[in-house]
Amino acid sequence: MMLFGDEGQELLKDATIFIAGAGGLGSPVAVYLAVLGVGTIILADNDTVERTNLNRQILHGERDIGRRKSVSAGDRLEALNPDITVKAIDATIDATTVHSLTDTADGIVDALDNYPTRYLLNRIAIEKDIPLFHGGISGFFGQATTIIPGETPCLRCIFPHPPPREVFPVAGVTAGFIGMVQATEVCKYLLCKGELLANRLLLWDGMQARVEEIAIEKDPSCEDCAGRAPPEH
Amino acid sequence: MKVKLRFFARFGELLGNSLCIEGREGMSVAGLVREAAAGNKAGYDAIFDETGAFRNFVIVMRNKKRIRSQDADLIYISEGDEIAVFPPVAGG
Ligand SMILES: [Zn+2]
Repeated sequence: MMLFGDEGQELLKDATIFIAGAGGLGSPVAVYLAVLGVGTIILADNDTVERTNLNRQILHGERDIGRRKSVSAGDRLEALNPDITVKAIDATIDATTVHSLTDTADGIVDALDNYPTRYLLNRIAIEKDIPLFHGGISGFFGQATTIIPGETPCLRCIFPHPPPREVFPVAGVTAGFIGMVQATEVCKYLLCKGELLANRLLLWDGMQARVEEIAIEKDPSCEDCAGRAPPEH
Repeated sequence: MKVKLRFFARFGELLGNSLCIEGREGMSVAGLVREAAAGNKAGYDAIFDETGAFRNFVIVMRNKKRIRSQDADLIYISEGDEIAVFPPVAGG
């Protein structure tokens, strides 16, 4: 493809991205990374497709209701791009599975719906020294940032305490918007192009049609990343 | 003195997205937010706990710079300040 050149397309082809969750955010991220040509996409979800998911979870359709999300997602992504490898895994992301799920990953996309699991991914990203592309959504609101271990604040620096579990429904368009920010970040990171959404938290208010960004800083007493030597580049 | 107070996401839905407030000399950032939220119980309770302290996940910014919410009672507002208060969102 002209935009990235042969060299860029090779970089994408050689990359492995782990997408944590095949729901609202995971759907648009996976679809666009697949058609972009990211060579290996590993996707984990432990859920079943329900009718109420279909307003936003565009990996799944009407006829997938009742199927495992991993199976439905795998089928859809392979149909979109048969030239890539898709490993859609029916698994709960927890302390026992997270290492094997992320083992070969060059980056992790946070498409989760809860902070305890996000903190787990944050620690793995720091341990493996790979980026974590964070996104979160609620209603018409969303947030995103790109975490580069050693260079940017980690997820725990930014959000030391988890907000209460989300009870608000998500608008599908919000998942699309934030998912596209995340997928764009993955693309730029893999191609080493542009400026990442690093050290900045992007806030999207769809109802007001406003994008804001705020500067974020490392917490010197962060329980997850403080005291770690910056990576050698 | 005029101070701009902005609430994001759920807080904005409950309390309004942007308020222009007549602040008083010696008023703290926390005091300003408490006063602005006082008229709306759901909004107040979303931001503050029963002791009147910011809930621990709430993010407070002053002039685009984050301040520790536990320091917000000791940081005083000045003319033209912009205070922003928002919750992280958790869905995915
Ligand atoms: Zn940290």
